[in-house]
Amino acid sequence: MTHFDIDKYAYLKSPFHSFDPRAKIICFLFLIFSIVLLNDIKVLVIALISTIILTFLSKIPLLFILKRFKWVALFIFAVLIVLPFTVPGKTVLSFGFLYVYQEGILLACLISLKAFSVMLLIFPMLSTMKFVTFIKTLEHFKLPKKLVQMISFVYRYVFVVSNEFQRALRSVSSRNVGKKSRILHLHVLSNVIGMTLVRSYERGERIRTAMLSRGYNGDMKTLHSFKMTKKDAIKCSLIIIWSLSLHVIVLTKILDVYDTYGI
Amino acid sequence: MVHIADGILAPEIWILGFILTGFLLAYTLSKIKTEEIPKISLVASAVFVASLLHIPIGPSSVHLIFAGLAGILLGLGAFPAVFLAVLLQAFLFQHGGVTTIGINSLTMGLPALISYGIFTVVIKKTSWKQRYVLGGSLAGGTAIFLAVLFTSIALMLTGAELIGLIVILVAAHIPVIVIETILVGGIAGFLKRVKPEMLVVVKK
Repeated sequence: MTHFDIDKYAYLKSPFHSFDPRAKIICFLFLIFSIVLLNDIKVLVIALISTIILTFLSKIPLLFILKRFKWVALFIFAVLIVLPFTVPGKTVLSFGFLYVYQEGILLACLISLKAFSVMLLIFPMLSTMKFVTFIKTLEHFKLPKKLVQMISFVYRYVFVVSNEFQRALRSVSSRNVGKKSRILHLHVLSNVIGMTLVRSYERGERIRTAMLSRGYNGDMKTLHSFKMTKKDAIKCSLIIIWSLSLHVIVLTKILDVYDTYGI
Repeated sequence: MVHIADGILAPEIWILGFILTGFLLAYTLSKIKTEEIPKISLVASAVFVASLLHIPIGPSSVHLIFAGLAGILLGLGAFPAVFLAVLLQAFLFQHGGVTTIGINSLTMGLPALISYGIFTVVIKKTSWKQRYVLGGSLAGGTAIFLAVLFTSIALMLTGAELIGLIVILVAAHIPVIVIETILVGGIAGFLKRVKPEMLVVVKK
């Protein structure tokens, strides 16, 4: 049974694993938002390089990152293929009736660089902590209690639902459904999904009553309480200063000297 | 792919997305009762798992969205459920974007609420035997149609030059509309037979 690899690399040792979760989420979100607000291709390349370094420092294995990359890759691929042909502007190349436009290439690069940087930053931000810690952090940030409770239930039920679904699929395929046409008939699939919902619902109810009988009242109880050290403060401020300086580079136009070399 | 990734939308759009999602979330959360939390979480997990389920169509593949299913199971609670699924997809699977969590919840959560309305109307106004299947089908199909429409509007508002992306988006989701129309209808019919209290209308 596949279990989504949640928490798989939360137990490594790296500067980000020991980082206080509250400070980590705040400074990384700050960096993510400031990168998305950039609109200068050279600065975005610098930002991407810095995110690659940050990801590397978090010691998350490259193979794991590549596996996740396929979603973003699909999106970036579509952007890179479509936009250069459809955003009108100065023509760079032409194949018969198709024209490649400079503005299109530029826009496609901007979008891809941002999407890729943000995708990478999630690894040092969230793959370096346990999901339970993440929920606890959200509670600290004073999110509505109902919402935090829901997130913690979703986390439990994701495994329940996927287990039940895989069980249902296995029982269907062991009864030879879809063997001939290879595609599962849609009405069979809808029954399988319906059954998965019913069974997960009943099992989820049992999980909840079991939790209630053991004294669950909606609060997260973990053994560790958060501690902010001096080191964490330094890390946090370094990342925030870096996000701000990306914008300073754009505003002061330091990089514009390279324009004369045609970059 | 109805998820918009980071970096594509104009800042005004995704900031507006966060604001509107915040309001809708506050409203729907105030309406739901504590006992409903497990069910909403369950459907959110189901939507989350469904988005990892890929159906191969020709050279590419699409994944199920199930915004309509959330609507017919949860009613108003569908909005928080969709929000949670979007949040977890962005944070756990880098699927979608961080700055676009607001707008993505809106483009899928609003259709979920609308499909709840459609389902209720069909069940209450008609007396046909198969009305659950019909209502489910309409809810499931309309939800995806509206999700694609809202996403296209968000892209259009950013810039008319993104039209190429919109064409691809719409083309990729026509099969999803067909599949979810059939699937959600089937699921609604199935639940009516097996566990009717899971459907939102029957409960009241």
